[in-house]
Amino acid sequence: MSLDINNPILQLILATMLGGLGVFFLLPRPRGRWVAGGVALVLCGMGTLAAFLITRFGQPLAASDAANIDWVGSGLFWLFAAGAIVFGMVLVTQRNPARGAIAFAFVILSTCGLFLLLAAPFLMAATIIIYAGAIIVTFLFVLMLSNVRTASDENDRSREPLLGALAGFAFLGLVLFTLHSSEADSTGPEALLTSIERVRLTEAVSKLDAGEADEANNLVNDVLVNRVDGKPTVAQRLASHDADPRVAAFLAQTIELRKSNDKVFNAQNAADKSKAAAALRPELIVYLGNGHLPARNVANLGTVLYSEYLLAVEMAGTLLLVATVGAVAIAGRRNPAKEVPA
Amino acid sequence: MITLWHFLGVGATLFALGLVGFLTRRNLITMFLCAELMLQGVVINLLAFGRFHGTLSGQAMGLFVITVAACEAGLAMALFLMLYRRGKTLDSGDWQQVRETGVPAATDAVPLPLPPADDEPKLPVPGLRPEQVAAPFPESSRA
Repeated sequence: MSLDINNPILQLILATMLGGLGVFFLLPRPRGRWVAGGVALVLCGMGTLAAFLITRFGQPLAASDAANIDWVGSGLFWLFAAGAIVFGMVLVTQRNPARGAIAFAFVILSTCGLFLLLAAPFLMAATIIIYAGAIIVTFLFVLMLSNVRTASDENDRSREPLLGALAGFAFLGLVLFTLHSSEADSTGPEALLTSIERVRLTEAVSKLDAGEADEANNLVNDVLVNRVDGKPTVAQRLASHDADPRVAAFLAQTIELRKSNDKVFNAQNAADKSKAAAALRPELIVYLGNGHLPARNVANLGTVLYSEYLLAVEMAGTLLLVATVGAVAIAGRRNPAKEVPA
Repeated sequence: MITLWHFLGVGATLFALGLVGFLTRRNLITMFLCAELMLQGVVINLLAFGRFHGTLSGQAMGLFVITVAACEAGLAMALFLMLYRRGKTLDSGDWQQVRETGVPAATDAVPLPLPPADDEPKLPVPGLRPEQVAAPFPESSRA
């Protein structure tokens, strides 16, 4: 292996070694902590990690051609990623747990920025709300329980800093190597709908809202069954990669929906028309909710949660209840020393 | 077009950082925050894969991870409170008597630095008239 600086393997090894050494020097201990060197090493490691990602995978949020790089999105990605990693580093190496909690708040804000880039606005809001409460409670616990004025075992010592840093960053190196050796050429599955079809389906939704169910159904038929602009229909495009079981299931579901909906519309019965219009809406949601995200994030996430993951939602609620009962049962005892039989 | 790999790299880095912190730090609250850091890395991975495949399943899974994290936070705080009431400490090393049998106890070789000693208080000489004393309360005194 030649020592080429653009070799991604070399960059990967360098990034993990620099980061691991930096964290090792930064971890709190009574003797031998080297803050300036540790910070320098960590920053060099982060730069090398960014260089590895760019060398191997190109710019984030970039189009397939180099002319259409999304500079704003890329800049925001680097900002939030660097923020998350820097403040995570502060949390891990900070002696004062109150400052660690503040650093964790900034980690949450940075990862919420990444959530927005990943088209998850609802999850971003939920994370900020939940973790704001969690961090405030943590902060209160630090103020109540922790003594940060004098040196103490819990804040000024680390358990095996060398072995710990080695384990964590060896893990990171292995994961990054797996990413490196994966097939990264594909830019993701083809979008389900072209932009023209998406516009026409959105038109169909507005027609449905206006009460013109027949026009809406004709528009949907145009898009999904007849050829739009001489291109293959959605069903034909999907059939070309129906080796994927999820795509095949989706295809079967949508074809079934289309058949039953169209049959009801052709019955020309006024009483059934309103029922058909109601049935057309979930079909449109199935199409518009797939492909490009964010597509009506909150509404579609709700649909997914309460249809596909209904049992899991119930389980999560039960888990929260059990955890609440457990927390009250554990923390509710006033004086545990008196309960120990003499 | 979104690229999956950069987000996977960031998620893996956050997970590794949290792992290092959880393995090495001894303050129970810091260890808890490091576990939350690992969960954040996992959620970024889930959302990145969901975005890559154009489905909402990743976001649903992310919501469940946050739910479990909330349960974990509540139970962890209750346990910390109990442990603090028993031992008046947040040091996880003080609970090492519950370790596996046959594992030697971890000891701290290097002593902690002593806190800087305060100067002894300097009291003014009693029985003197105030104008006879130039500076009755020296600035170094905290009294």
